[in-house]
Amino acid sequence: MAAAGIDAVRTDAQRHWDELAAKARRSRRAKDASLFTFLIAVSIPIIVPYFWLLTLAFSAGMEGVDTRVLWPSIFILVPAVVATWVWAILARTRRHAMTGWGVIWLVTIVIYAVVVGPDLHLYNFRFLYIPEFNTAYREIVAAEDNPEFSLTSFPSVWTAFWNSLFIAGAATLIVVTISSLAGYYISRFQYRFRGSSLATMLVLHAFPTTVLLIPIFIVMWQIGLLDTLTGVMLVIVGIEMPFAVFIMKGFFDAVPWEIEMSALTDGATRRQAFVKVVLPQVSNGMIAVAVFVFIRGWEEFIFVLTLLSSNVRWTMSLYTFFVTEETNLGVDYGIVSAVGLFYIIPSFLLYTIAQKYLLQMTVGGLKG
Amino acid sequence: MAMIEFRRIRKEFGDVTVIPDMSLTIDDGEFVSLLGPSGCGKSTTLFMLAGIYLPSGGDLLFDGARVNEVEARDRNVGIVFQSYALYPHMTVFKNIAFPLRFKKLPDSEVSRRVRDAAELVRVTELLERRPEQLSGGQQQRVALARALVKDPALLLLDEPLSNLDATLRLAMRTEIKALQERLKVTTVLVTHDQVEATTMADRIVCMADGRIEQIGTPDDLYRRPASRFVAAFVGSPPINLLDADAANGRLVVNGHRLALEGEPASGEVILGIRPEHLHFMAAGGVACRIEQIEPMGRETLYVADSPMGRLRVLEGGAGSRHAPGDSLRVGFLPEHVLLFERGRETLIPGARAAVRDG
Repeated sequence: MAAAGIDAVRTDAQRHWDELAAKARRSRRAKDASLFTFLIAVSIPIIVPYFWLLTLAFSAGMEGVDTRVLWPSIFILVPAVVATWVWAILARTRRHAMTGWGVIWLVTIVIYAVVVGPDLHLYNFRFLYIPEFNTAYREIVAAEDNPEFSLTSFPSVWTAFWNSLFIAGAATLIVVTISSLAGYYISRFQYRFRGSSLATMLVLHAFPTTVLLIPIFIVMWQIGLLDTLTGVMLVIVGIEMPFAVFIMKGFFDAVPWEIEMSALTDGATRRQAFVKVVLPQVSNGMIAVAVFVFIRGWEEFIFVLTLLSSNVRWTMSLYTFFVTEETNLGVDYGIVSAVGLFYIIPSFLLYTIAQKYLLQMTVGGLKG
Repeated sequence: MAMIEFRRIRKEFGDVTVIPDMSLTIDDGEFVSLLGPSGCGKSTTLFMLAGIYLPSGGDLLFDGARVNEVEARDRNVGIVFQSYALYPHMTVFKNIAFPLRFKKLPDSEVSRRVRDAAELVRVTELLERRPEQLSGGQQQRVALARALVKDPALLLLDEPLSNLDATLRLAMRTEIKALQERLKVTTVLVTHDQVEATTMADRIVCMADGRIEQIGTPDDLYRRPASRFVAAFVGSPPINLLDADAANGRLVVNGHRLALEGEPASGEVILGIRPEHLHFMAAGGVACRIEQIEPMGRETLYVADSPMGRLRVLEGGAGSRHAPGDSLRVGFLPEHVLLFERGRETLIPGARAAVRDG
């Protein structure tokens, strides 16, 4: 009798604990669910425009925005992406996750192919191989030979592409080289006004560059670099340099002195020690700086618009802008999206490849 | 192998004088330790030897030739840092081979010498690893191999053992000393750890505030410390130091009178006596009361109050034979007493003190 009483007490206690555990599980799930709902809700306005761009580039025709393709695609693809995220959270093992994603995307692709597939085409990308934009897209207007329309004369998209590549690439090369050397010097050497020069550099970066538009225009005109790619490239170098130097200084600060002293006693000259021992330690910083400067040069708009006038010096940003601008003829959203997609591919590839280096940016630290 | 000479070396950084005036000779093949607290200028001295810092004045001589302005890479000096400073982007093999890259040697020769050096410190099986894949002790060995691979005239060790755990430190201590004796390379060790200095070095240079306090064998520093600083820095547990006044053959310590013996001393002095030279006794000596007991394994440290002041007494043998509160008497031999002048803080050689009977 007494023993049964003890058992009853024990099970009562157990039941009490079970209830508490269940309560904890419920509240944890509720918290997770509300957090993910919030994140998904705020992400949708960000991801929808990208879907829009993608869908239009592959489907729209001359007749304007084609919602017949747009909305079905978004209703198929957005849930698929959301499902992918949710599955990433729910999956217990890596294999489990992979299988789930496979199923989600297989189903999505099948539905997409059936519903939207027949409407997809590559016709909007013909600007890539037809050199003269106007003959490709404004032929009807051109045929009418209407003098009211002064058509902007478009260069080949590849001219714009190479121009952008030159500006971004050359700026990257110069900024990475100079900021590595300057960052090293500032990190390692004591000199007068070291602190104040660092502070000034950062203040320079804080100014909105747009206020310099007219002064820079005048300077460029005076030194004869107006309407040259080199001129724009140098402006971007000037704007990006302070922050790049500061970032590189942070990375060099993290390289211990001893490693350099060791290289010097091992027989290296100061320069050899820098190149063979110190530089390899800051390669992540150099990659990060390179990516940021490249993307900055690639997306530069305001300075190229102001400083360049001949159409053979257009960059991708100007090309995209003028494709959108020809409003008096009616905007062809298909071609705008296709150009836009072509424009973002290099940045996208670069970010994807360099992602793991960019994530290490904080390792360098930013202490003065 | 090289003989090193400092002649009136001075080193300043801007307005700060780190080393005012230093003269020192290190013999060929000798193992010398620079011992002192942090900030005493011992690392600065080491970096001047390596050629990383230029002396501000005086002459630095290698085998009698002035090398003040000779660059680090031309001095044939090997150095091991506290942090080991291995090159993280290179394998162990490339790390050890790095000093040979600047000598334009054929690949086979480089490979042979790297293997020899690796064998010397027993890291042969680690050659393909990267520094981050090594334990602290292994990194230490690789750093040593890198310093030795070019047959340096001078080996510099900058607190090489302070990042190792206690057991490993003991093992590396023995190993480095054996290696040095075998290779007969002139070696300078910088350390703030007196045990490291006394166990490894032939001679110790004890430094404080950029000045050499004493140069001598480990035994000299322990038995005949030239100053109060050396006496306090060398020896563990630390020496008992008591302010005293000497006059007319008497030494008054905190009101308690002792007899002065040996060389005469007068004025304000400091009485120093090591804990291991004090012993408890049944009769005679000075009365004391045990306040605290610190068992140290083989020995026991007692903290006792006496009329002279608070004393640390070290007694051999495991287990404490006394308890806090015990009233005992403590005595010492006159030859174990050290007297320092107060103010200049230097030893008064030959001066001794004894407990007066009665």
